[in-house]
Amino acid sequence: MLSRTIARMRSLLGSVRRRDHLDAEMDEEFRLHLELRAADLVRTGLSPAAATRQARLEFGGTERHKDAGAESLGLRNVDGLRVSWLDFKLGFRMLVRYPGLTLIGGLAMAFAIWIGAGAFELARQVVSPNIPLPDGNRIVALRNWDASRSRPEARVLHDLVSWKANLASVEDLGAFRGLQRNLITAGASGEPVEVAEISASAFRLTRVPPLMGRALVEADESPGAPDVVVIGHDVWQRRFQGDTAVIGKTLRLATTVSTVVGVMPEGYAFPVNQEFWVPLRLDASSARPREGPELSVFARLAPGASLGSARTELEAIGIRATRELAETHEHLRPQVMPLAESIVRVNGWFAIGVMSMNIPLVLLVILICGNVALLMFARAATRETEIAVRSALGAGRGRIIMQLFAEALVLGGFAAVIGLAAAGAGLRWVMGVVEAEFLEGAQLPFWFQDHLSPLTLFYAALLTLLSAVIAGVVPALKVTRGGVARLKQSSAGRGSVRFGGIWTAVIVAQVAVTVAFPVAAWFVRRDARLLESADFGFPAREFLSARLEMDHDPATSPADAATFATRYRSTWNELSRRISEDPAVTAVTYADRLPYMYHPHRLIEVDDGGAAPIDQRWPRGYRVTSASVDPDFFRTFDAPVLSGRAFTMADYSSSAGPGDVVPTGGTGGPVIVNEPFVRLVMGNRNPIGRRLRYVDFEETPTPEKAGPWFEIIGVVKDLGTAVGADVGQAAGGDPKVAGLYHPIAPGASYPGHVAVRVRGDVDAFASRLRRLATTVDPTLRIYQMMPLADLTASDLRFLDFWFRLVLFVSALALVLSLAGIYAVMSFTVARRTREIGVRVALGAEPGRVIAAIFVRPLMQVSGGVILGGAIVAVLVRGVTGGFGATEFAYATGYLLLMLSVCLLACIVPTRRALGVQPTEALRSDA
Amino acid sequence: MSDKEALLPGTLDLLILKAVSLGKLHGYGVLLRIEQISGDALQIQQGALYPALYRLEHQGLIASDWGISDNNRRAKYYRLTVAGKRRLGEEVASWNRIASIMARSLAARPQET
Repeated sequence: MLSRTIARMRSLLGSVRRRDHLDAEMDEEFRLHLELRAADLVRTGLSPAAATRQARLEFGGTERHKDAGAESLGLRNVDGLRVSWLDFKLGFRMLVRYPGLTLIGGLAMAFAIWIGAGAFELARQVVSPNIPLPDGNRIVALRNWDASRSRPEARVLHDLVSWKANLASVEDLGAFRGLQRNLITAGASGEPVEVAEISASAFRLTRVPPLMGRALVEADESPGAPDVVVIGHDVWQRRFQGDTAVIGKTLRLATTVSTVVGVMPEGYAFPVNQEFWVPLRLDASSARPREGPELSVFARLAPGASLGSARTELEAIGIRATRELAETHEHLRPQVMPLAESIVRVNGWFAIGVMSMNIPLVLLVILICGNVALLMFARAATRETEIAVRSALGAGRGRIIMQLFAEALVLGGFAAVIGLAAAGAGLRWVMGVVEAEFLEGAQLPFWFQDHLSPLTLFYAALLTLLSAVIAGVVPALKVTRGGVARLKQSSAGRGSVRFGGIWTAVIVAQVAVTVAFPVAAWFVRRDARLLESADFGFPAREFLSARLEMDHDPATSPADAATFATRYRSTWNELSRRISEDPAVTAVTYADRLPYMYHPHRLIEVDDGGAAPIDQRWPRGYRVTSASVDPDFFRTFDAPVLSGRAFTMADYSSSAGPGDVVPTGGTGGPVIVNEPFVRLVMGNRNPIGRRLRYVDFEETPTPEKAGPWFEIIGVVKDLGTAVGADVGQAAGGDPKVAGLYHPIAPGASYPGHVAVRVRGDVDAFASRLRRLATTVDPTLRIYQMMPLADLTASDLRFLDFWFRLVLFVSALALVLSLAGIYAVMSFTVARRTREIGVRVALGAEPGRVIAAIFVRPLMQVSGGVILGGAIVAVLVRGVTGGFGATEFAYATGYLLLMLSVCLLACIVPTRRALGVQPTEALRSDA
Repeated sequence: MSDKEALLPGTLDLLILKAVSLGKLHGYGVLLRIEQISGDALQIQQGALYPALYRLEHQGLIASDWGISDNNRRAKYYRLTVAGKRRLGEEVASWNRIASIMARSLAARPQET
């Protein structure tokens, strides 16, 4: 059975491929037959002319045999599927003739394609990015992988020399290290920028010439060469106002004054997202194995070389190194990979995970197009007469299906153009959110682009085809079901098409979605409102917050780390002193996290057990958030200790932080908890004197592994430690996550956050703070400086976008639903005009007639509302944790409202049905 | 012509399979072979032969390739495939069974009923 099907498919495919030659082949075969037959007849004594005639007579009509032959080869249906230009022309005409359907259906399909293509492009850029440089995908990264510790070993200076000398499959090998430095402006305030200390070969490798001046050259790398910098296009525009005489001018990066020697063109940000390039000065000759600075190595595959050949060559060098430098290189495995992969690590499962995000979106496309199909079906049903005439004129089922497909394809084509035009804006938004929400304001690598790749355009074309198949072919199949013969029998006004099970499912689903979506939108809006109105009892607008960082090389020893910590602390103390001297400042405090910020979650256990029930999602302990704060923290935020005592100076010098290693059995020191902690962990019992310690999310601690016990010494009010984790509930003043505080000396955690309470204009003080910081130490960098109240701004933007998106989907679902219900009702009235007329003529009550006719559509709408209600109940339960009498009352009211809104679509068809006159009914039967 | 028997419906395919089972043949050759093996007793609509050939090819029971005919012309030659050989065996067995049933049925006499 299977082999026969395969044989038929193969034959059909071959015939379709050779369709144009097939006729010629048949002609040739028939001709030979006729000639051989004629020759045989001549041998029996007929004249050549008579023999030829006789042969033709015996053979019969060649065209008829060719038709039969094509049918034997299964080509008849295929031939019927050909689309003509006329179909598309008709499709265009339909767009104009049915503007309502064009607008609603087109908008819905455009939205589906917009979402589908945008998400696909994003996933593609993560999984398999294109480097937007000449031959950019041949740029590779090289690194040493430490197999014993399962992480890269970035101290590769020694290897760099060996790779440069021995690798033939790559060229323009170079290295860089990414630095954050303060760009010191004329007013002496610092602005943190991304700088690449980079080999001059990078500019050869990227094959992008500078817009002005020159790129870095090898001479710049020699020790003692003048300090030079190449700047990016944006910097040139922003910092130098596009000055064409910028070459030769100087700028100051932290403590170094460099001369600008070149400007790179717009969009150039190699190797990741840098906009300043300074020479990488390395003394490679004295580099010992696994020593020196941490570097990232890049190169370009040499002409003719492939990633595979480079890998083989590098492996050979790696094997030699493990032999010759066994002490340092025994576990090091050199690797080569595409540039992007070295920055955004994408392994197989991750890639599958990212790409599979597209599946639900394809389902969304199918759902939306299913709705459009309903409208198309209603339209096709009203055109039953036209279709019947076409089939009477000889159009087969395939032809009619292809005509409706072409019409849907025209609509889908327009929708795709609109959807794809908007996709760029969508990508820009998503990337903006990722940068603000997940990269703390840093930029995505330069290969993330806001335009669509050819692959995505191809994918969008497939989506459009899919949309057209669903919106065009499915209704066409239903309309033409039962064969062309049935169509020929049908007549105007007494159509035989019915809305069957599939359309019932579509209507029920779309009404359910229509009911559920506004509720989701409402919850998103509510979260945003609560977040906006978050109030923790201190005037958040009076606070300026910022993150502090300072230039330093990665510590290579504990002594290095200690030296840096001391330097940072003394710098902070000096800055803090100067801030306090500002007449506008009333208080200043230092902490690892501030109110309104996201505080990571941890689990704790309490000695003798806590009194409150444990959330079964985290059975090993209580979920808490923590912050480490300096002595002025609670005073600065108007949060006096409510019971117990405050931290004393002694606590600050002796305490461990939440991550510190303390000898077994040692004490971690005191902690202060907030009021939600008393409620959520202690069950409102007195917490003072109780002890707690951190436990792992995954495993119960063994005595050796267990952290130190911390003693609870005091209670303060909630200061917004749960914002960002439980947006909404937290901001509503009833957080679900408890919080606790550890004492740290000022500047004792790195990087840290500073909150300055200012009297008067916070923004004016902001620029003073930058200047103060640069004066104290030019290497002190300030990030994310903003009023404390604005810390939720990016969350709010995020929620706002979700709200708009969900609202748009809700509106779309509502419009589609109403249009669908309207179409079904109108169709029902049109189809049963005669019946309505006759019933009314026979004296039936109009109300009863309407009820009898609309009972089915009404059932469908009610079914949808009930299903939507169930989804709403699940949603409400999930978000608020319960579904009480109040929620039930609200939900019932809402469902009744939605039912009446949906029934609005019935008004016009009902009026039309009531207005049907018996005479009209009889005329429609003619 | 009138002394020839008309083909029973469905038997043309079987005859074609039999004809090509005896050797590679072009379309006209198939016709001649059927006439030959039937003792010129069957009447075949010549043009109808080709749709039948295409149908069998579509079903994978015969295969074709282009070659050169005796009169030095390009000709399409048909041959039996493995699936065709199997089908031919089944069809022949089935035909024989039906023929014998028919013969037995038609030979029945009154006392046997």
